[in-house]
Amino acid sequence: MALKRLMILAALLVGSVSLAVGQAGIEPSVLDKLKRLFPAATTFSPKEGEPLHFTAYAADARGAKTVLGYAFWTTEMVPLERGYGGPIVMLVGLDLKGIISGVIVGEHREPYGNFSIEMPQFAAQFRNKDIRDPFKLGEDIDAVSRATITMSSAVRSIRNAARRAARTLLTPPEAAKP
Amino acid sequence: MSARARLVRVLLAVLLVVSGAIVTVPALAFAQTQTPPPAGGWDFPDEEDDVPTWADDLRAQAVDLALVSAFLVLAFVSFFRKSVRLKYVTLVAAVAFLGVSKSLLISIVNVFGLLGGNLPIFRPNLAWYLLAVVTVVSTVLWGRVYCGRICAFGAFTQLVDAVVPDRWKWNVPRALERRAVWIKYGILGGALAYFLITKNPLIYPYVEPFWMFGLHLRTPVLLAMLGTLLIATIFVRNLYCRFLCPLGALLGVLSNLTVFRIKRWSECNTCKICQKACEWGAIDGPRIIKTECVRCDDCERLYEDTKKCPHHLILIRKADILARRGPIATG
Repeated sequence: MALKRLMILAALLVGSVSLAVGQAGIEPSVLDKLKRLFPAATTFSPKEGEPLHFTAYAADARGAKTVLGYAFWTTEMVPLERGYGGPIVMLVGLDLKGIISGVIVGEHREPYGNFSIEMPQFAAQFRNKDIRDPFKLGEDIDAVSRATITMSSAVRSIRNAARRAARTLLTPPEAAKP
Repeated sequence: MSARARLVRVLLAVLLVVSGAIVTVPALAFAQTQTPPPAGGWDFPDEEDDVPTWADDLRAQAVDLALVSAFLVLAFVSFFRKSVRLKYVTLVAAVAFLGVSKSLLISIVNVFGLLGGNLPIFRPNLAWYLLAVVTVVSTVLWGRVYCGRICAFGAFTQLVDAVVPDRWKWNVPRALERRAVWIKYGILGGALAYFLITKNPLIYPYVEPFWMFGLHLRTPVLLAMLGTLLIATIFVRNLYCRFLCPLGALLGVLSNLTVFRIKRWSECNTCKICQKACEWGAIDGPRIIKTECVRCDDCERLYEDTKKCPHHLILIRKADILARRGPIATG
């Protein structure tokens, strides 16, 4: 009996330590980004599924998990997309209503990236953006002159990745209506 | 220029444009199309936008394509007409439009892209592809025309050269110049080796100054490098293009295939007028050094100058003598 209690305690301890250190299957740097996209989330699933995505969960007081939204790398959702110097890696968060919870620009090789996609205001303008918006440079997205190839590729990546994720992972709003 | 030669050149210009179209049209047919998404109830207002039609893509890029085409037409008209005035118009347009406004350049980054399968995707970037195709095709047909009047940085240094007084300039001694031209091949080889070994293209700001058009240079080292280069460019004309540019080196290699070469007279074996006039150090006695020639037209204008080119002077004298001897010869 004592042994069993000890084992449960050990399991709980290991579990909480692994939670504190980082979640199984998610690198700490990625986990950090996921938390920035879903500050309310308590846990994240490892990257899984087709197309590959992370799932953000919120746990209520009783510990029941509800899905808050999904996060995914644009390069895995739309692998054919490339800018001037190659793929632009971005992590996109999407809630269940098709609203983008945030965009984090990761690795890229764009020569003109520093004054276009690396500017904080680039990623910021996608927060709370509806995937049904047009995503047109110079219209609902600010254009940056001299970096058209980079900017248009990044915007296409975000839009098409989010829409692909929505089609496969989310329930369309129409279907939810009575 | 004879009417026939002019016709040939016009035909070639048409050929160039048509070849661009020939590259474009099949690409339309085989262009990547993303797999249509499974039908859902999302009802994106522009769901068809995910797979835009060619008409949509062309409409979105029509202004860019028209402007780039207009610039290229200007560049090639100035080239075929051997017009100095049009050449300077082209150079100013290259700096202002391709450089400052669009920053549309062919770069070592694109060579890395070609090697790594990372070129920009085709359909949304037609203007860049038009420029790239024209660059390659024109280099094979005529030589480094791109370097001489399309590249914004090359145009910039040529304009600097045009406004800086001659007495400030240092003419690189011939022997040194002939050796220094190899530096750019070293830089090309080094940059390619670095990329192939590390798979990291981020070497480009250190080998190309074009990025100044986007104010990309952030680190003190890069700013110091650009500053040094720009100051040195005042005193050594086209320093970067002649000795350092890795892309120019690659186009130089390609220009060995040049189909339509600059003609030489038999008199060129002894005459040195063009060699002295060539600001690119691309003439060595009777020989045009193709890899260094950017088709600036300086020597070709001299060939047609009946008052300066010995070919014409000798012909005129011969005609003169024949005219005087005429009756005796026919008698």
